[in-house]
Amino acid sequence: MSGRSKLLKVVLLGDGGVGKSSLMNRFVSNKFDAQSYHTIGVEFLNKEVTVNGENFTMQIWDTAGQERFKSLRTPFYRGADICMLTFAVNDRKSFENLPMWKREFLYYADIQDGAPFPFIIVGNKCDMPNREISEEMAQSWCSRNANAPYFETSAKDATNVQLAFISAVSRMREMEDQLEVKPVQTNSVDLSKKQKPLNSGCCS
Amino acid sequence: MAFQNQVLFAKDSVYVHINVQDTKDKDAHIAGRVFLLNKPEGYFIEWKAEDVLNLETTSEEWDVINYKNDREGDSVSMNAKMDARRKYNISFDILDLKSFKRSAPNHGWAYIIFILKDGTTFPALHFHNGGSKALLKELENFIYIRRSPNDPRLFLVKDHDPEQLSQSINELSLFTDSSGAYVQNFVNDSKHGLSKKFIKSPYTTTLGGFSKVTNFLRDVLMTPENSQNLVRPQSEVAELLQDDIPGMEISQLDEPGFEMITKTKLPPRPTVKRGDPLASPQWNSFFDAEGRISKVDELKDIIFRGGVDPALRSEVWKFLLGFYDWDSCSKKRTDQRKRKVDEYFRMKLQWKTISAEQEKRFTLLKERRGLIDKDVMRTDRTHKFFAGDKNPNLQVLYDILMTYCMYNFDLGYVQGMSDILSPILVVMENEVDAFWCFAGAMERVCHNFEMDQNGMKVQLSQIHKLMQIQDPELCAYLEAHDSGNFYFCFRWILIVFKREFHFHEIQRLWEVIWTDRPCSNFHLIISLAILESEKSTLLENKFGFTEILKHINDISLSIPLEETLRKAEGIFLQLRDYKKLPISLKEILGLLPPAHVPASQSMENSMFMGSTSNSSSSLQQEAGVKVDTPTLMAGGAGSGASSVKGVTRSGSGSDLTKGTVGAACSANVARSIGMSARYGGGARQSNGGGAGGNAGATCGMDDVHKVFT
Repeated sequence: MSGRSKLLKVVLLGDGGVGKSSLMNRFVSNKFDAQSYHTIGVEFLNKEVTVNGENFTMQIWDTAGQERFKSLRTPFYRGADICMLTFAVNDRKSFENLPMWKREFLYYADIQDGAPFPFIIVGNKCDMPNREISEEMAQSWCSRNANAPYFETSAKDATNVQLAFISAVSRMREMEDQLEVKPVQTNSVDLSKKQKPLNSGCCS
Repeated sequence: MAFQNQVLFAKDSVYVHINVQDTKDKDAHIAGRVFLLNKPEGYFIEWKAEDVLNLETTSEEWDVINYKNDREGDSVSMNAKMDARRKYNISFDILDLKSFKRSAPNHGWAYIIFILKDGTTFPALHFHNGGSKALLKELENFIYIRRSPNDPRLFLVKDHDPEQLSQSINELSLFTDSSGAYVQNFVNDSKHGLSKKFIKSPYTTTLGGFSKVTNFLRDVLMTPENSQNLVRPQSEVAELLQDDIPGMEISQLDEPGFEMITKTKLPPRPTVKRGDPLASPQWNSFFDAEGRISKVDELKDIIFRGGVDPALRSEVWKFLLGFYDWDSCSKKRTDQRKRKVDEYFRMKLQWKTISAEQEKRFTLLKERRGLIDKDVMRTDRTHKFFAGDKNPNLQVLYDILMTYCMYNFDLGYVQGMSDILSPILVVMENEVDAFWCFAGAMERVCHNFEMDQNGMKVQLSQIHKLMQIQDPELCAYLEAHDSGNFYFCFRWILIVFKREFHFHEIQRLWEVIWTDRPCSNFHLIISLAILESEKSTLLENKFGFTEILKHINDISLSIPLEETLRKAEGIFLQLRDYKKLPISLKEILGLLPPAHVPASQSMENSMFMGSTSNSSSSLQQEAGVKVDTPTLMAGGAGSGASSVKGVTRSGSGSDLTKGTVGAACSANVARSIGMSARYGGGARQSNGGGAGGNAGATCGMDDVHKVFT
């Protein structure tokens, strides 16, 4: 281990049962446990990654999704570098709750109003046959939400899981770079896009 | 592929013990092999389950688990059992190793628990055929290990430094036969500043007896120094909780005279003995001619001291959980049970008869159904009772939780409840009994689940208050490392340690707790006991907020139950006998005479005592909590034993299912909603019967058998 890597705090959010813990475990140890428990309290795992030549320690925080545990979950949002909003493509409700999760995160992570923040949207369980949310619906929501990158994953068969997490880091670095350049430059278009839809409502 | 992993050490018959019903279960121990490997990326310790190993021998790749890309790593197609075993595989770079615990080998086989720098704590590796020492000796060639001065089982790995390695390590001979001797490390670490030198000075290394003092100093001096490999300062994470959770703010100056508290001198800890589980003859001897339990307190003492024989649990738990009153005679219990059966089915019908159409306009119910559905599929699925697809017991779990929603609609379903129910259902093997016992167990912990989470916050802060007196040093350390909120105990408290112990152990622990002995809130003292056992690991590894959280999460299933219970009772006795024990703590432990409890506070207190306890409440025990000596029945005075036979069976079986459903609905409705199965008696009670009911939908015993066999 290099010992020189930058720590990135990643918060995984989404309704109970969409597969947050499974995504984390697939990414960190490439394992999938069909018999795993639902998460109680808060857990996290570290994973060393190299993205575009830079070393990072991703510290991935996984919390219980039920509304009830909100007050014990939200303190962990602070200091996050990346937020992955997850739903299950076979669970419409979990998709409809994305705006709620996003709001909760922005509020408790103490992100300044309108400030761009690297969200990644993950539609998990894409291996399941009974899909309720099409890729188009999800993409459409993302385009209205600062063009957040969208990935359809399956923690079960490992589809796109690595890609989603690694892309999250790239996304964060891109946004950091843009911020450093200050929004006078050509990419000001991007930034204005990002600022507006933060409060945009849910799809339908 | 090109690089052949060099095997520096290999040893088979190394087992991981997993969470199954009992230790005799052949699946309880997963056999595997442990390796020390020289890989291109570095030196690795790995453990692989045997089945997996055999299947993979065709591939020369060792790093299948961690480094294959997504598609190759696909485990879906592999058979389920192997997959289940493979998930226990361990692999880590030895440079990530922070410390390890090695059990005293004279207690049967040795085991090793490896702990990484980020707090990750692996399950214990049990060396059934020896070899732990040999592995560690091999390891010493690559890393620098020293024994903790405070905990002989704990070994600390010094940060990788070739210079140190070159110092004749072999002289230390940590793992030779003289391993009982302390090996001290006098090496000064020149990299660090004055404070560290101070610590490294002979104070810590030689004056073991004064380690408390020096450790306290060290905490004060060294607080900013943890998590060496992370660049970002901990402070960001650290700000957490202290001010963010309403009601969780914990002032370090809470008790008057913080400095005084750090010098608490509790009375010496008495030796505590545990007893044998309550067994059948003894149990029977407690019943009088009417089938009434004669000496309830004595009986509870026995259960507290040794638990209950598993064969008796389904009966004894009914008393502990308020299904039966302690002072009931067998006739009354028959009536009680009958009423409860009726009541259960009435409530079950309430949700069963809600049509899909109705539910469209009943969002709350629909949401709860969804939550329960998901969690039932994720509760104890490795346990035989719930294993396998379409296991009918999952439906029973579901039905009970749905019915509980009708029983306590205000509370509804909250994650964690399925964990509370599962061990109870396994013991009861009967839907109705399990429901009512679950309701009784929930009565004790329902405050954990309420919307404002206040019950949880109160308990976590109570642990803090208790620790301020019981172990001010550890308390100061946790406070200094942003953990004074005891958030890392959240799972322990929410589901009463359910995920921290093996299944058979949690049943034992719960029946002990349900006796309300030796005090109120004994579960908080149990938390103190576990933390005390982890103290050296936390302090000497200098774990910070995240590492503490991770370590505590990871020690689940490797906490020794009986030892913990002995320790907890010892701590309780120390606190009880401590002359200066603050009133607020006496209150938490129920040690105040009732008259002294201010009304408002007694309410807060009572919510943790559980309403199912005997009417002679724990508060009244203040005068004489008799816990020092086990009051085991000598030989179980046989009188009355015969008269009790049948008590446990009366009113059980198919008779109860008859008439009860009819009481609530017509036979047709009952059939149409599928109520014929699973309802009254379980297979075990099917020999009861007799007084048949008088109405409606009878349930075939065949169905009942099917479910519970």
